Amino acid sequence: MTPAFTPRPSQEQILRYTGGRLGIAAVPGAGKTHILSALAAKLIQEGRLGDDQEILIVTLVNSAVDNFETRIKRFFDNPLQALYKYRVRTLHGLAHDIVREKPASVGLDERFSIIDEREAGFIRRESVNAWLASHSLDDYLDPALDNSKRDWVKRQQLPDLLDSLALAFIRSAKDRLLTPEKLRQQLDASFSPLPLAELGYAIYADYQRALAYRGAVDFDDLIRLALTLLENDNEFRERLQYRYPFILEDEAQDSSKTQERILSLLSGGEYGNWVRVGDPNQAIFETFTTASPELLRAFIRENPSVDMPESGRSQPSVLALANHLIDWVMNSHPDPNVRTALSTPYIVPVPENDPQQNPPDNPEGIKFISTKYTPEQELEAVAKSIKGFVDSFADFPIEEQPTIAVLVPRNQRGVEMVNALRQRDIEPIELISSTSETRAAAGALSHLLSYLSEPGNARKLAKAYEVWRRDWREKGVENSEVESGKLEGNYSTTQLLNYSTALLRRMANVENFIAPQNANEWLSILSESEPVQVIEELTQFRVNVQRWLNAVTLPIDQLILTLAQDVFSSVSDLALANKLALVLRSAADDHADWRLPELTAELAVIAKNERRFIGFSDDDSGFDPEKHRGRVVVTTMHKAKGLEWDRVYMMSVNNYDFPSNMPNDRFISEKWFIRGGLDLAAESLAQLTALESTSEYDWYEEGAATMRSRLDYVKERLRLLYVGITRAKRDLIVTWNTGRQGEATPSLAMSELMGWIEGE
Amino acid sequence: MLNLSLLQRQIIESPLHSRLFVTGMAGTGKTTAGVERIRFLLEQGVPADSILLLTPQRTLQEPYLELLESPNRMAGGEVTPATIGGLVRRMCDLFWSFAAEQAGFLNPELPPIFLTLETAQYYMAHLVRPLIEEQGYFESVTIHRNRIYSQIIDNLNKAAIVGFPHTEIGTRLDSAWFGDPAQRNVYADAQKCANLFRQHCLENNLLDFSLQLEVFTNILWHNQQVRNHLTQSYRHLIYDNAEEDISCSHDIIREWLPDLDSALVLYDQAAGYRKFLGGDPTSGWDLSRHCEEVIEMNESFVSSGNVIQLSNALTTAITHTGEVDSQGTETAMEFIVSHFHPQMLDEVTTKIEMLVANGVPPDEIVVLAPYLSDSLRFSISNRLETAEIPWRSNRPSRSLRDEPASKTLLTLAALAHPQWQVHPPKFDIAHALMFALNTDLIRAQLISEIVYGQRDLRLSTFDQINPETQERITYALGERYSILQTWLEEVRGSEPMPLDFFLRKLFGEVLSQPGFGFHENLDSVRVAASLVESIKKFRTAMEPLNLNGVDLGQEYIEMLKDGVIAALYLESWRSEDKHAVLVAPAYTFLMMNRPAAFQFWLDPGSDGWSQRVSQPLTHPYVLSRSWDETPGRLWLDADEAANEIETLSRLTSGLLARCREKIFPALSDLGAAGFEQRGALLKAFQKVLQNQQAEQ
Repeated sequence: MTPAFTPRPSQEQILRYTGGRLGIAAVPGAGKTHILSALAAKLIQEGRLGDDQEILIVTLVNSAVDNFETRIKRFFDNPLQALYKYRVRTLHGLAHDIVREKPASVGLDERFSIIDEREAGFIRRESVNAWLASHSLDDYLDPALDNSKRDWVKRQQLPDLLDSLALAFIRSAKDRLLTPEKLRQQLDASFSPLPLAELGYAIYADYQRALAYRGAVDFDDLIRLALTLLENDNEFRERLQYRYPFILEDEAQDSSKTQERILSLLSGGEYGNWVRVGDPNQAIFETFTTASPELLRAFIRENPSVDMPESGRSQPSVLALANHLIDWVMNSHPDPNVRTALSTPYIVPVPENDPQQNPPDNPEGIKFISTKYTPEQELEAVAKSIKGFVDSFADFPIEEQPTIAVLVPRNQRGVEMVNALRQRDIEPIELISSTSETRAAAGALSHLLSYLSEPGNARKLAKAYEVWRRDWREKGVENSEVESGKLEGNYSTTQLLNYSTALLRRMANVENFIAPQNANEWLSILSESEPVQVIEELTQFRVNVQRWLNAVTLPIDQLILTLAQDVFSSVSDLALANKLALVLRSAADDHADWRLPELTAELAVIAKNERRFIGFSDDDSGFDPEKHRGRVVVTTMHKAKGLEWDRVYMMSVNNYDFPSNMPNDRFISEKWFIRGGLDLAAESLAQLTALESTSEYDWYEEGAATMRSRLDYVKERLRLLYVGITRAKRDLIVTWNTGRQGEATPSLAMSELMGWIEGE
Repeated sequence: MLNLSLLQRQIIESPLHSRLFVTGMAGTGKTTAGVERIRFLLEQGVPADSILLLTPQRTLQEPYLELLESPNRMAGGEVTPATIGGLVRRMCDLFWSFAAEQAGFLNPELPPIFLTLETAQYYMAHLVRPLIEEQGYFESVTIHRNRIYSQIIDNLNKAAIVGFPHTEIGTRLDSAWFGDPAQRNVYADAQKCANLFRQHCLENNLLDFSLQLEVFTNILWHNQQVRNHLTQSYRHLIYDNAEEDISCSHDIIREWLPDLDSALVLYDQAAGYRKFLGGDPTSGWDLSRHCEEVIEMNESFVSSGNVIQLSNALTTAITHTGEVDSQGTETAMEFIVSHFHPQMLDEVTTKIEMLVANGVPPDEIVVLAPYLSDSLRFSISNRLETAEIPWRSNRPSRSLRDEPASKTLLTLAALAHPQWQVHPPKFDIAHALMFALNTDLIRAQLISEIVYGQRDLRLSTFDQINPETQERITYALGERYSILQTWLEEVRGSEPMPLDFFLRKLFGEVLSQPGFGFHENLDSVRVAASLVESIKKFRTAMEPLNLNGVDLGQEYIEMLKDGVIAALYLESWRSEDKHAVLVAPAYTFLMMNRPAAFQFWLDPGSDGWSQRVSQPLTHPYVLSRSWDETPGRLWLDADEAANEIETLSRLTSGLLARCREKIFPALSDLGAAGFEQRGALLKAFQKVLQNQQAEQ
C-alpha cells in the first residue's frame, strides 16, 4: 500500500476484508470510490487472483469508470502488476459484456445495436400514438369534464400521460423478465379485467416489434437479456463466476432488483465475494425504476457490514443539519409510513489527522429564506444574491474563487434560472440534462460534418479548423501563453489560431486551397505575404481536410469514427464519438433518404441539447466542479449527486416539489383530468403485479397503488432534500415559492429545519 | 527449378498412376509440391484438360494461377481450376434433363434457372416477408430481416453440404438448444420458411446452391452417364486444402478416387478455418484411407525457429495446456502499444516504412485484423498511401451498396431512366459527379448546385453556367462534364435497354475514358464489373419468369435499396498489384495460401479473434456432420468455450505457420470505438510476455 493513503478507522476495517459478503453504508463524502480502489489494489497485491481472473468493479456512471482506473493504478509502482487484474464497468456495460459473449442464445444477431433513450423515446411515442388512434381511454377520464375540455385533454394531455405510463410499464415488465409473449399468456389466463395492463401490453408489444425490426435492443433489454443468460446457462455463469472472484459494487443503493440479481448470480450466491457500498439515503431516481433503498438496507442487515460515517466534505453545521433531517424523518415525521425514508448512520466529521479536513464551522453559512416568493420573485432573489456574491470575489485569483451551484427540482426550473442569471450578465454552466462535454464533442463533430456537407463554404471551413485545434482553444481560455514556447516564431497558439481562422474565413474560393489547380493556389499566393508558421499551420490543416473529404463516401458511422480519431484524444470524447456514430448510423438506417446534411442537422440537435442524448450510463462523462471555480453551475438535484460546491442554493423547496403526504399536498403524477385523481402509471404497474401474482389474496384494487405511489414519492423527495443539503461544503441557502397556482407552502421538512436552525 | 526438398521431389515425380495423400502444417511446402506436380504432369505429356485442380474456395488457387496462366504453357487445352460448387453447377446445367423430373421439378421440360446468393435472397424475401409481417414469425429474435433470409438460406446449404434432408433443420437445431424457452419457436419458423422456399424453387425450376448440390449428389452423381463424363474428362486430380472443403465434396472425391489415374490430395492438419462455413476436416482426413500412400511433411520452409517457438508458446497459453515456454520468442514478436487507436495505426505505418526502407519487399508485409471495417481499412490505406507504400486489400464481405463506385453508377442510371421516378438528392449528384468526373467534392458540388434539376431529373449544359463559375470549375472539368451530360441526354432519347447493358455502355463509352473516374482505377473497375455481373445474374434469374410490367432494372435498384440483395459481395479476390502490402482480415489471408515475412496483428484485444459470428437462426456446429446426434445432446457453454479456444489456437498457429520472421501485435488501450478490449488472444500474449520477463 502506498503511504499516501491514510485510512480512516472505518476504512481500516474495510481493508481487512478477505472474502464473503460485505455491506457498507457510507455517508455523503465518505470516499467510497477511494476505499473500493484501495480494496481492489489490496486484493490484487495479496495475490488473491488466479489465472485469467479479474476483480469486477461495478459502478453507476461511465465517468466513475475512469475515476477507478486512475485511482487503482496509483496503488502500484509498476502498472503492469495490475494489468488485466480488474475490470471496471457500469451495470449496463457489464450487461453488454455478458450479452456480447453469447448473443445468439438470447435471440440477438451478431450486429445487434443498442438504441439510446432518445431513439427509444421516439419509437415508444409512435407506439403510443398508434394505440391512441385505435383505442380510447375515456373510462379513466374525469366524467365531469365537458366535451371541449375533454377533447383538449385528449389532444394535449393524453399522449404525454400515456407515454410516461408506457415507459414505466415497459421498464417494469422488462425488470420482471416478461416478454410481450409471456405477458400475453398471462393476460389471457387472467380472470379479472385489467385494462391498464392490456394497454401497457399493446404498446409494449408494438414497441418491441419496432426494436426487432431495427435489430436493436434498449438499455433495459441489455439488463434483462444478461440476467436471462445467467439464469439459463449454468456453465456460462460458472465460467463468469470463475473470471470474477471478487465483485465490488459502488452506488449500490441505485441497483434495481434485476441488477442486484445479476451481481448475486455472478458472485456465486450467498457465499460469494461481493462487497456493496452505497448510501441508502441517497437513493434518488429521476424516472421510474424498481430500485429501492430497501434492497441495499436488507443486504446490509443480513450480511456482515461496516458503516462509513466520516466525511470531510461539509462544515460541521451543514453536517448537523443533514443529521437533524435524518433524525426528524426517522422519529417525528407526521406520517409514520414515511419514517423509513432516511436511516442512520449519522455523518461525523473526520478525525484530526485526516488529510481532508472539514471546512471550519460556520453556522452563519446556512440560511433558510422564509420569504413568500412567487416563482418569478424566487428567481430574481436568488439571481440577485448570486450576482452580489460573484461580484464580491471577482478580483480574486481563480484558485481562490469558490465553487457555486444552484440546485433545482426540475429541468424546466433550471432553464428559467439560467435565463434569470443571463439577464444579470452571468453566464452559468448548465448541468441540466446532457453535460457540456457531450455538447462540446457533439458540437465539434457537427461542425466538421457541416463543413463536409458543404465543402466550398469558407466560413464552415474556418469553423472546422477551430474544431481541429480545439485543444489549443480550450487550453487558451485558462492559460493562453503556455504552449507558445513550443512553436517556432513569435506566435502563441492562441494568436496563431485566431489569425489562421480569420484567413480561412476570408478566403474567396475554397477549392483553391483544398484542391488547387494551376496557378491559383491560395497558399502559395498567401505565402508571399504571410509568416511561415501560418503557412505551415494551414498546410498541416489541409492534409487533414483532404483526408476528411476522401472519407465522405464512407457510411456515416465510419465517417464519424474517422473524424473522431483525428480531432479527439480524450477517452470520453472517443467513447462519445462512438455513441454518436451508432446513433447516427441507426438514424441513417431508419431514414434511407437522409444524407450528410440531414445527419448533420440531427447531430446539431444533439449538440444543442434540444433533445437529450444519453449514452451507456445515466450520466455522460464526469463533471468536475473544481474546474469551474468562480462560475455558477445550474443543475437538477438529481444530477448533483456525487458533486460538491462551496456554496449551494436550493430552490423551490415547497410542498408541491417536496410533499409530505399531508391533506393539502398535491401530487404531480395525479392528473386533474383523470377520474379520482388516479396515478395511472402506478395503477398500471399494480395491474402488472396482480397479473404476475399467484396468490389469490393479491388482487388488484383500484386506487391503492396511487396511495402507495404517493408514499414512495414523498420518501424519495426527502432523500432528494438530503442529497441537496449534503452538496454544500460551506454555504447553503434554501428558498421556496408559492407555485404556479399561488397556493403552495414551504415543504414541511423545510419548516422543520428552519425552526431547528433558529432554536440552535 | 526451385530449391525443392527430397520429399517434395518424391511427391512431384511420383508415377502417373499414384494416389497420394500429403499432410503437414502450413509452410511445409505442400502447395509448392502441388504446383510443381501439375508442371510435372504437363511435362510428362499429360493433356492439360485432363487435370482437375480442386480447392474449397477460389482464392486458394492463387499460387497455381501463375503456372496455369503462363503464356508458354503446353498445348492440349487447359487445366480446369474448380470448386465443388462450380463443378456441381456445370453438371446440373449440362445434365438437367436427367435430373429434373426425379428431383421433383414441376416443369422439367423447361430450362433450369440458377440462383446466386442474392437472387436466392430476393426470392426468400418475397416468401418470408409476409410471414413476418402478418403472422408474427421470428418475433423473439432481434435481427435485421435480411439476416433472417440469409440464415434460412444458410440452413438449407448446410443440410445439403452435410447430407441430411432439409426437413430436419428445425428439429436438429431445436434438439441442441437449451436456455430461454421463448427462443425455441424460431427454429420451427425457420423450418417452415425453408420448406416454403424449397417448394417455390421446385415449382419454378429455380436452383439455389443447396438444391444444385442435392440434385448432383442424390441424382446426377449416381447416373452412369454423368459419372462417365466426369471420369473420362478428368484423369488427374490435384486437391489442395482438402481440410477446408465441405463434407459432400469429400464424399464425391472418395468415390471418385478409384477411377482416377492419379491424385494428389493436400491436407493441412492444423487448419480447418472454414468450419463455420461448413468445412469438415474430419471427412477430409478420411480421404487418406483411400489413397495408396500417406506422406507427412514436417519441416517448415517458412517459419524461423523463433516463430515456431512463439507459435508453441501461444498455443500453450491459449489452450491452458501447461507451462508457457517463452524462450526465444522475444525476437519473433514486437509489440506496438499506444493509448489511442489512431496513434497505434500511425506507429504501425512508421514501422512498415522502416521495414520497406530496410529493403523488405512490400508483399512480404501483411496487416491483419480479425475484422476489417471500412473505417479501419480506410485509416490504414490512407496512411500507407501518404507514406507512398503500395497496398492492396481484399474485401470479401463488403456490400456493393456501400461502394462509392456503384453508388455513382446507380445515381447516373437514375438520371438516364426518368420513368423509374427515382429522384436522387443534390448531394448524391455531387458525389456521383465527383467520382465519375474524377474531381474534388467542392467543384462537384459547385456544378451540381447549378446544373441539376431534381424534379425533371435533368442536367443542364456547361455552357449555361456563367463564365466566372466556369473558370472556378475549370474548363478541363467542364469538358468532361459536357461529355457525360450529352451522353446521358442521348441515352434518354433512345430505346430502353437492360440495366446491365446500360452500365456497360456508360462505363465503356464515358467513365473508363482518360480523365474520368474509372480510368485506370482498378478498384472501381472491379466494383463496376461486380455490379454489372450482379444485375445480369438478377436479370437472367428473373427473365424466364415473365414478370409482366416489371422493369427489372428498377426492381433491382429497389431490392438494393431495401438491402435484400446487399448480401451481394465483392469478389475482389485477386489483386492486380501483388507487390504491395496486404491489408486483410486474418481469415482472408489464411485462405490465400501464401506466407509473409512480417505480420502486423491489429487489435489483439478484440474478441473477434476467437468468437464466432452470432446467428440466432442457424448453428455451424450443430448443423455439421460431426455433431453427435445422441438424443439429449445439447450445445453447451463448455462446447462454446472449447470451440473458442480451438478456433483461436488454430488461427494463431495458422498465421504463424505463414510467418517467416516476426509478428507485430499492435495494441491500443482503447479500441477504435474508445472502449477497452481484452480478449483471449491478448491474454495469451500477456502470459507469453510475463514468462519472458520471468525467464530474464
